[in-house]
Amino acid sequence: MEYILEGVEGAFKLIFSFDREIYSIVLLSIYVSFASTIISAFIGVPLGLLTGIKDFRGKIILSKIYYTAMGLPPVVVGLVTVLIISRSGPLGSVGLIYTPTAMIIAQSLLVTPIVTGIVFTNSKDTGREIIEICKTLGANRKHTFVKLIKELKPLILVATVTGFGRAISEVGAVMIVGGNIKGHTRVMTTFIAMSNSMGNYDTSIAMGIILLTISFISNSFLYNRTMGGNNGYKIRRY
Amino acid sequence: MKNIKKGIALLLIVMLVFAVGCSQAADEPEEPEVEEPAEEEPAEEGGELILATTTSTENSGLLDYILSDFEEKTGVEVKVVAVGTGAALQKGIDGEADVLLVHAKAREEAFVSEGHGPERFDVMYNDFVIIGPESDPTGVEGLNVVEALTKISEAEESFVSRGDDSGTHTKERSLWQAAEITPEGDWYVEVGKGMGDTITMAEELQGYTMSDRATYLSMKDNLESVILVEGDEILFNQYGVIQVDPGKNDQINAEAAEAFVNWIISEEAQELIGTYKAYGEVLFNPNAK
Amino acid sequence: MGIKLEDIKKNYNGKTVLNVKDITIKENIITGILGPNGSGKTTMMKIIANLLEPDSGSIIYNGQCFDKIKDSLTYVSHNSYLFNDTVYENIAAPLKFREKENSYIEKRVKELIRMFQIDYLNDKNALNLSGGEKQKVSLARALSFNPEILIIDEPTANIDPNFIKLIESTLKSINEKYKTTILIVTHNTAQSFRLCQEIVFMKDGKIIKHSSTNDLINSKDTFIKEFIKLN
Repeated sequence: MEYILEGVEGAFKLIFSFDREIYSIVLLSIYVSFASTIISAFIGVPLGLLTGIKDFRGKIILSKIYYTAMGLPPVVVGLVTVLIISRSGPLGSVGLIYTPTAMIIAQSLLVTPIVTGIVFTNSKDTGREIIEICKTLGANRKHTFVKLIKELKPLILVATVTGFGRAISEVGAVMIVGGNIKGHTRVMTTFIAMSNSMGNYDTSIAMGIILLTISFISNSFLYNRTMGGNNGYKIRRY
Repeated sequence: MKNIKKGIALLLIVMLVFAVGCSQAADEPEEPEVEEPAEEEPAEEGGELILATTTSTENSGLLDYILSDFEEKTGVEVKVVAVGTGAALQKGIDGEADVLLVHAKAREEAFVSEGHGPERFDVMYNDFVIIGPESDPTGVEGLNVVEALTKISEAEESFVSRGDDSGTHTKERSLWQAAEITPEGDWYVEVGKGMGDTITMAEELQGYTMSDRATYLSMKDNLESVILVEGDEILFNQYGVIQVDPGKNDQINAEAAEAFVNWIISEEAQELIGTYKAYGEVLFNPNAK
Repeated sequence: MGIKLEDIKKNYNGKTVLNVKDITIKENIITGILGPNGSGKTTMMKIIANLLEPDSGSIIYNGQCFDKIKDSLTYVSHNSYLFNDTVYENIAAPLKFREKENSYIEKRVKELIRMFQIDYLNDKNALNLSGGEKQKVSLARALSFNPEILIIDEPTANIDPNFIKLIESTLKSINEKYKTTILIVTHNTAQSFRLCQEIVFMKDGKIIKHSSTNDLINSKDTFIKEFIKLN
């Protein structure tokens, strides 16, 4: 019990010591996860919208594929990425292994299905409703498109922030493709895992607190933008 | 108005993050104990060197201490990938690393004889210790390893093993072999985890375990377990360095690997190793020939 | 003239849900669409509103095809989608689609808000309203551009009595003032007798009676009599 309290105490000391290593680890985490979330949004939002709104054969199969892909274990994604970018793999000559770029690639693979899936699920019904109502109100294609984007903005935000949350908290993919190399590919989660296995509980807890704080901030941001005050929007997150 | 403020804040954060993120890869990290400032950018001629080593080696902090010497002299940026001994050797076999620094002599020699690397060199040794509860119920303090293990297995006192096929685990198995005992039963607990977790488990069970000195020292302040057996030659842990066969693929940085090997067995590096202290004690004894 | 349906058929999963031979719905009056659940009322309305394609058959509106009149036809259901915006913006939306001038829009929206007695909701987000309030906004929005044809599907389902009166009287006055053709699907037979001049009665996807309200009330058909008694 003592060591937990000592750990928490040591954690606060560490956070406020502004240790350069700790902060570069935190910023690298944010950079990698943020970049992969942006990439995922660019691919996932249009993809989710298009496949959500239109009706076509095989839509049900596609939604099953989305749901499966949303639940891909990060370690598996990491493994697949490594097989491709390792020196003996097809893209080995690009020299991506153990780089932040590789981590961004792996996390993008992990997060894109999540963004796509959330957008798809919610735009399936909502998107069709919007298009229908715009039709009855005499809107042309341009007006309908603008309304669609405007109405679905909260949805897009939810999907993106959820994706970011997933990215910044995963450890399997970044560990395997990044290698947790000090000064190069060490992020919050791999750092915590490593500290823990070394018995350095105070540093693990410190980093854990920072990670939770970031998670809290990004979720609060999301809440305020979609639920707070004058908004009555409800969105399904699976 | 509120929205604009939020938007600007977000934009600033984004810019800051990208600025740091992009420079992260190029920057050399500042080593906490080194006097000279670290290099800002790796010299183009040197490139990158992937050094595969074990987790206990990295955790000891030795590499943080000595690598900057190599990096300055050659302009090569060393990327230390710390995994289990088996994984490190496998990376060598697969050509995923450029040079290995591990401590499993028999397996290293097999590595070389199977043609995965040109030659193996002795670098240094550290030692293992057997730790246990201060009360030492079995009374093994001061005994040699064989006697101690015999007593522990006869008394069926808890003994925690890494159980993860690591270099440390291999070493531990060799100790039991030397004592001609096959450890089995509820008292012998194989955890399949790293050294820190293994020690924590032993502490919780009030039992014994074998650890490298460095990890024990790093955790000492939070532990009640103490060193009970040390100094026995059989506890010495020999490190070897092996360059990976450059013929395996195009991306292996053979020049840097060769330079690394030559450097680590050079007098200067060897002296440096001998001066590395952690937790008030010298951990590694240089013994390159 | 009016809305002429010729041989409209619609199948769904192999079942025929709509089979309407020949019917002309009179313009400028309020026509009620009555019938039990599953009789095809909503399907027929959606086809007339061009939200659903019939498998065969055609519709002619006042002698013209849908393309010519689409800007003056609208469809309101009992849970129409409201935009994530203020009540004002919701009602103004169709006028903005038609690129009307801001001064006109302001005037028109104010007029409608007054008509439906929702002044106090002007700046509130439409998604935060009660069921009755939402329905009023929906209707106000649909009426903002003065459609010639208004199709409403269950306008007062789940709404409490105070609102019902207001909506009914608003519909009546719109019909009187602008001669809007109104088609209203409803379960509430009393409501249909109050509001409608003619009634179309449907059963199993077919129209079994289309007559003036009085004639329907006095119908000898047992099914119809039963239905009126129970609703």
